[in-house]
Amino acid sequence: MRYFDYIQPENIKQASESAGRDWRKALLYAGGTDLLGLIKNEVESPAALINLKAIPGLNGIEYSEREGLTIGALVKLSQLSAHEVVREKYSVLEQALKETASPQLRNMGTIGGNLCQRPRCWYFRGDFHCLRKGGDICYAVDGENKYHCVIGGGPCFIVHPSDPAVALLTLDAGVTIASAKGTKRVALKDFFVLPEDDIYRENILQPGEIVTHIHVPPVSEKTVSGYIKFRERGAWDFAVVSVAATLRINGDTIIDGKAAFGGVAPKPWQEEKINQKLKGLSVKPGNFESLSAEVLKEAEPLNQNAFKLPLVRNLLKRLLVQLTAS
Amino acid sequence: MADSKIIKSKYFFEEDFTEELAEVSANKYADWNKKELKVVGKPVSRVDGYDKVSGSAVFTFDVILPNMAHAKTLRCPHPHAKIKRINTKKAEKIPGVLGILTYENAPKISWYGKSFLFDPHLRYEGDEVAFVAAENERIAEQALKLIEVDYEILPFVTDAAEAMKKDAPKLYDDGNIRGGKPSVYERGDIDKGFEEASAVAEQTYKTQVEIHNPTEPHCSVVNWDGDYLTIWDSTQGVFSVRDRVADVLKLPASRVRVIKKYMGGAFGAKLEAGKYTVMAALLARKIGRPVRIALDRREMNLSVGNRPDSVQKLKGGATKDGRLTALYQYSYGAAGAHPAGAGCSWALRTMYLCPNVKTEEYTVYINAGRARPFRAPGHVQGFFALEALIDELAEKIGMDPLEFRIKNHTDRDQVFDAPYTSKLLLDAYRVAAEAIGWKNRPQPAGSDAGPLKRGIGMSSQIWWGGGGPPAYATLKLNRDGSVRIIAGSQDIGTGTYTILAQVASEVLEIPMEKVEVLLGDTAVAPYCGSSGGSTTAPSVSPAVRDAAEQMKAKLLSGAAAHLNVSESQLVYRNGVIHTKGKNKKSMTIREIARKMGERVLVTTGKREANPDGYAINSFGVQFAEVEVDTETGKVSVKKIVAAYDIGRVLNPKTLENQIHGGIIQGLGFALFEERIIDRNTGKVLTTNLHDYKLPTVKDTPQIDIRIVSKGDSKISNTGVKGVGEPAMIPTPAAIGNAVYNAIGKRIKSLPITPDKVLTALQS
Repeated sequence: MRYFDYIQPENIKQASESAGRDWRKALLYAGGTDLLGLIKNEVESPAALINLKAIPGLNGIEYSEREGLTIGALVKLSQLSAHEVVREKYSVLEQALKETASPQLRNMGTIGGNLCQRPRCWYFRGDFHCLRKGGDICYAVDGENKYHCVIGGGPCFIVHPSDPAVALLTLDAGVTIASAKGTKRVALKDFFVLPEDDIYRENILQPGEIVTHIHVPPVSEKTVSGYIKFRERGAWDFAVVSVAATLRINGDTIIDGKAAFGGVAPKPWQEEKINQKLKGLSVKPGNFESLSAEVLKEAEPLNQNAFKLPLVRNLLKRLLVQLTAS
Repeated sequence: MADSKIIKSKYFFEEDFTEELAEVSANKYADWNKKELKVVGKPVSRVDGYDKVSGSAVFTFDVILPNMAHAKTLRCPHPHAKIKRINTKKAEKIPGVLGILTYENAPKISWYGKSFLFDPHLRYEGDEVAFVAAENERIAEQALKLIEVDYEILPFVTDAAEAMKKDAPKLYDDGNIRGGKPSVYERGDIDKGFEEASAVAEQTYKTQVEIHNPTEPHCSVVNWDGDYLTIWDSTQGVFSVRDRVADVLKLPASRVRVIKKYMGGAFGAKLEAGKYTVMAALLARKIGRPVRIALDRREMNLSVGNRPDSVQKLKGGATKDGRLTALYQYSYGAAGAHPAGAGCSWALRTMYLCPNVKTEEYTVYINAGRARPFRAPGHVQGFFALEALIDELAEKIGMDPLEFRIKNHTDRDQVFDAPYTSKLLLDAYRVAAEAIGWKNRPQPAGSDAGPLKRGIGMSSQIWWGGGGPPAYATLKLNRDGSVRIIAGSQDIGTGTYTILAQVASEVLEIPMEKVEVLLGDTAVAPYCGSSGGSTTAPSVSPAVRDAAEQMKAKLLSGAAAHLNVSESQLVYRNGVIHTKGKNKKSMTIREIARKMGERVLVTTGKREANPDGYAINSFGVQFAEVEVDTETGKVSVKKIVAAYDIGRVLNPKTLENQIHGGIIQGLGFALFEERIIDRNTGKVLTTNLHDYKLPTVKDTPQIDIRIVSKGDSKISNTGVKGVGEPAMIPTPAAIGNAVYNAIGKRIKSLPITPDKVLTALQS
């Protein structure tokens, strides 16, 4: 660890300006649950830490029938999952939040930080100068790749570690990104990037850009949603794979629906084809079976992770059955 | 009273038999009758409970001395290398750096047989390169980064099968197979045995490398006072550490004091002096300050031990009516970079009645951290394979697996041809089978409807754990009637403080509050062995009883003299001695102690000899009920029933702690834990507690414990067998067999992870 400046800006403009334009120079500090590990393990060696916690306006959860949810980026995961509206209307998000990490980490970790966390790949986190850290090779390709991606990979094969991001994709969420120049709103599906587009980052944020809010549109009354996280042990584990779905149902028909997948790709993964097929699908186990078989058709598993394909498909089927039972 | 003699004592400790001369007690005491006991056998709360729960317990990790320096270790980043050049000049210049040791300036101290404390030939990722002391850990860590090392990178091998090949990179000049040949055991005629068999099962099973990962990392604080060295150490064996440190530093043993009060676990990884302790002592002497060294979690996962992996090719034969005719094992395991045991054949040699047995085992050097004993070394691996084979054989001959095991029950140790002092395994089978509902298991395997399939499996267990001499305990009675026990054993978190206090409280009939126990201090305590091999309670508790009984005799003698009566006229009850009959006269312990004119009365108790001509073993069985999600491959353990013959239970609460801990650790080995090495770089990937997956409370099953034994009076005056290791031995095997019962497919390698289950289900 090298010495770093600790900067305590009072507003976003100051924060953005002090973050500067230089990659690797400054890191944003919210809950710190990922940041401290990155610094301790020398994945990151920032020149400055910019503490966001003194900036007003990033801690609230607001809801209106027209706008839906507006969540401040510094809202803690535990705070968000306990929010009445989240519990009533956004089951998929509530479940994903509650399945994240451990109670201690959920009490410290923020929703903004969760979306912007870095991958857990053991080469990236370990003593390996891998592609994502500026090196020449991805050690996972021919190495120990059981937990790596089955689709969207190359030349790096990480998976994105966030649970809430997968849930939020099915809710058509968006984020507000602020910088010294102003603010912009981006759909969450356009927020994450694949290694082929940027090998060093997992999202579109440029130096000085800060996620300030997460927006979740309102859902109709006929909406059901859920999240299944599959991990090897009972708690405190990242997803091997996960599946989220949000469905609008009328009688025996899914009017509209979205599914998303974690643990399979370098970004939270959606397949337009699957979402199209959900539209108008009648509620029958056979339909769910054949739909699930279509998931990740383009996957190219590495030599140790082909098991993720049946796993994801079975879990999607299970989730759809659960959500449509009643 | 106080009769003793010196004998040759031999008993099994962790990986092998120990043999040494021991002074033993020749005193005979009446066998304890469970119904009459008031303290022993009762669920007494831990005497250290308040300290632990309140956070006031001082562990070695917490020891702070005035003017203490902090040390860190530079470790080799490569699996195999030689130091061509090392330069510490830049590091030395950092303000706050106090001293640096490397192979260039440290004394050449022999370590691991053919290696040294600092060896320029680095045989694994994590091997020690330099040792820095500084004003604080942060400065020491900065200094590590400024030490310039020019490594000659050497070819490496991290897989035992690869390392056994002739052209494999060599760790030592004489090759990678320890001793150059397998360790072989044979009885009967294996070929004849297989000829007699009407069914033969042959299978290869594999187990992974498991890391101890105790809560408290390995750590020492060392302090020199002139030529007198005091070491606070997180250790299972204060005398083992004292002797090693005294030897390598060429100090009289009397000038080395090793202290350990509380410890956050070890599981076998802290049975010997660590290099870090000696390095700290060397540097502390050089800089004239106390030095603290505590390893971090990464170092814990690289450098301080593991359960070696195993590849076990097993073959078994049985007759149609369920008699085992032959058992054969060919196996190998990786000892890591330095000598260590990797055998696992005792299970097959001893568990079941079988006249024809042969085992061939190879211990192989690879470029990875060295193996150490780990809670029932060899047995946990061996039972996973043996019990799977037994189930496969039972299925082949169409016999109930439990009935097959009962049919091959033996009351004699077949390796040493001796009867067991006690063996109540058949009772354990019966009680546990009923509790789990063995009859209701899915038959045939895999026949549950699914997608969640239930299954039940079982595994027997055998271990030594009878302990033995030498083990001594001093008992001091103070003038107010309070008592202190002093013994050179150590409480490694299992409840030794509590059970020893119970024994003294029982014999002297005084409240627990009046008994203090001091353990883990080589300067003041008489010798006891290391806390390992499930030997602490069976070795030390009889010495405490001997000391307390001697004290009781002393008190009776004192009272008789004072009251002018013969001892036969006196009765000892509840800490008061009184005369029989009318006109009762009485004296309390306190009054006698005062009258005797001594401030302190002292006795020293000794563990008696083990009985000649017997084998002492503990026995047990675990039944596991699992649920396998056939759509995800996830195995959930719902319930474990554990039934044991472990002699006398001194305290049901500490017993329950031990069995719960063993089962949870066994479950971790069965389902989650694995050291993973990158095949291309030879570097360990699982160096933190996220990637190295220990079980969580959510993975913990319902646990039902049944004890079928009472005290085994043939062993000792307390009749105890140890339970620490037996608790873990059968768990992975029982889970493995339960998974087979659930899905009808056998997962032959541990851990049983979802990817393996899914792959097996799809095949």
